[in-house]
Amino acid sequence: MATRKVHIFGYGKHGKRIASGLRGSGYALHILEQDADLVKKAYADDYVDVDQIDMTDDDRIEALDIGESDLVVCVMDDEHFNVFVTLTLRQFHPEVEIFSISDSIHTAEKLTMAGATKVIDLYDVSATRIHNFLNKPVTTHLMSSIIADKRGISFHEYTIPEGSFLHGRNTGEIDFAKFNILLLGIIDRELGNDLIFITEGINHKLDSGDVLVFMGKDDDLTRFEETIKRKTI
Amino acid sequence: MPRNVPTPAIVTQALHRHRSARYQAVKGFFRNILSNPDYPYKKFFDLFMIALILSSVWILVHEVKHPLPHWVDVYDLYVVTLLFIVEYLLRLWVYSDLHEMVLKEYDESLILGRPLNYGRIFKRFVLSKFAYMSSPAAIIDLMAILPGYRPLRVLRIFVLFRLFKLLRYTKSINEFVQVLVEKKFELLTLLFLLVFIVLTAGIAIYVFETHVNPKINTLFDAIYWALVTISTVGYGDIAPVTTQGRVISGIIIVSGIAMISFVTSVIVSAFSVKLEELKENRLIHDLNKEEAFLILCGYGQMTKMFLRQKDYPLEYIILDNDANRVATARKDGYNAIQEDASRYEVLHRFNTQYARVTLATLLNSDVENIYITLNAKSVDPTIQVIARMSDRKMAHKYKLAGADHLLMPDEVASRMLLMAIEQPAMQEAIVHLLTGRSKAKLDEIIVHEHDHYCCKALEEIDFKQHKLIFVGIYRAMNGEFLFNPAKELILEAGDVMLVVGYHVSIAQFEKDFRSV
Repeated sequence: MATRKVHIFGYGKHGKRIASGLRGSGYALHILEQDADLVKKAYADDYVDVDQIDMTDDDRIEALDIGESDLVVCVMDDEHFNVFVTLTLRQFHPEVEIFSISDSIHTAEKLTMAGATKVIDLYDVSATRIHNFLNKPVTTHLMSSIIADKRGISFHEYTIPEGSFLHGRNTGEIDFAKFNILLLGIIDRELGNDLIFITEGINHKLDSGDVLVFMGKDDDLTRFEETIKRKTI
Repeated sequence: MPRNVPTPAIVTQALHRHRSARYQAVKGFFRNILSNPDYPYKKFFDLFMIALILSSVWILVHEVKHPLPHWVDVYDLYVVTLLFIVEYLLRLWVYSDLHEMVLKEYDESLILGRPLNYGRIFKRFVLSKFAYMSSPAAIIDLMAILPGYRPLRVLRIFVLFRLFKLLRYTKSINEFVQVLVEKKFELLTLLFLLVFIVLTAGIAIYVFETHVNPKINTLFDAIYWALVTISTVGYGDIAPVTTQGRVISGIIIVSGIAMISFVTSVIVSAFSVKLEELKENRLIHDLNKEEAFLILCGYGQMTKMFLRQKDYPLEYIILDNDANRVATARKDGYNAIQEDASRYEVLHRFNTQYARVTLATLLNSDVENIYITLNAKSVDPTIQVIARMSDRKMAHKYKLAGADHLLMPDEVASRMLLMAIEQPAMQEAIVHLLTGRSKAKLDEIIVHEHDHYCCKALEEIDFKQHKLIFVGIYRAMNGEFLFNPAKELILEAGDVMLVVGYHVSIAQFEKDFRSV
């Protein structure tokens, strides 16, 4: 993966986790925080690119070097600032992808309106989990290991690379069971950028650039990652 | 020094009963069906008894104008009365245990080194049974049996006592009586005042009008008149004719109005205070009849969001300490009561014996959540606890406290955001599949013994035709998840199949799957 820069606004409870999660996965991290103590903490955790800025200072945020393919994560502990910074950034960088976490019920909507690309609604996600505890014990078990990032069964997505054997084939004619993985969904670039679940029964023509979502054991998924690059199998 | 005497026969008998599982089970069953409001089958017994009572009263009314066929008389005399007698005796039986009394006396006699005193046992036995017999409910029961004695026709009117017996089987009337009992002092004072005024006025009118008014001949007539007047009923069958009599009328009419409004206000205020409590009791009572239900602790954002996702499968109740939050919850249309979930008595009121209870403690504070978890587990270890945790470091404490599922909103949200950055399509897939909000979802199908496909190989099921993706099977027996298993695998009862598909496809598949 090319070195994309991730700008993380806020080094509070979420910022810390996200930064450590992204560390070592090929992203360049840039942490921005307005609280002096948290800035110190970020330095103490060995992050080099840390800035202390005033989030209400438009000029300062405009001056930030945010490239078009960069990612922005707005996860300050104060949700008001998240909305505010999202709005400011959207104004200066209409194309950049902005991710945020909504910490209370009505913030998700506000963040989306402010222009966030992807909002994780903390309460929505958790409420779903409680429902699953009650309704779908097996799924819960499965999902908790996926969410906790343990080895086992998980989901994975692959973009079909140039020259892959999958290029030009139909979903129906490839037996993924051979690789011990299941194809769940596809983003068929010919049809748009939305995820389509494979259960529709429609045969998709695969092209390089399409994204496939698989479910399987981690080892099998890792193995498939190599296979997908090959011209033939 | 304990003397070496053989254990008396009565004690061995008592010990035998004390240890006999069968005796305990039988007695426990009757105890439950007669007096345990949480026992699921009690309501059938209650309904049956109510039907008996109503039939008996109907016979009494019908009999006034119509001759009864012989079999109705037999039914009334033998079936109803006999069942009432049996019920009475059973209640008397389960009220206390003779063998326990014997054993207690035996223990005491051993400790004190005195001989076993049969007289004392007998006295205790009689006293405890008498205590039951003299309770109002038992007296009504006994009265209700009396009409069975035919030689005394007057006793027929005691059939009405059978109506009082309804009190036993219907909770709402009980609650009404409860309110009156609580205002006993006020009501008794008023009753005393009423008796005083009625007697005084009655005697006065008797003195003034006995010889003038042809309607008033006895003191009873006078008192009857006073009562009719003070209650503002005023039949007019007896009316004062002298000026003195009319003055007395005026006085007791005014005091009567005052008294009636007073009584009304006492009862109304008692009810308005008690009403909330009654409602809450009713809520818990109704919940306790469910097979499974959910207790939500705290009406915070998490609870709100949970309830907003409409498909909650269970009946639920919200417990919150804070009156404002309870009021908000009610305004939002949810069942909430103001109780402290960390108190033993509060959780103890829920029927954990016969219902599957799940408790979700979703408060912001770990300290509270752990305390509530512990409390729930101490009330009954079978309560399933879902706890919200703010920090992974706390996990150990929660596990020690006995929480079954832990929820870490912050961590889950961070993890989701990471996924959204690194693998956006997969994150979207997971969210869609789990919430089921889009067209497709991940669902579980439990294999039952009598299902069409049970005990058949997987290859016989055409998932493709149903437009489903088969993910795998969870074997509850050995607790392992078989991902994408071989086609030759035989389905067993109790297996849980995980499938991905559209809502309609899954519903259709379940239908086909279940059909024979």
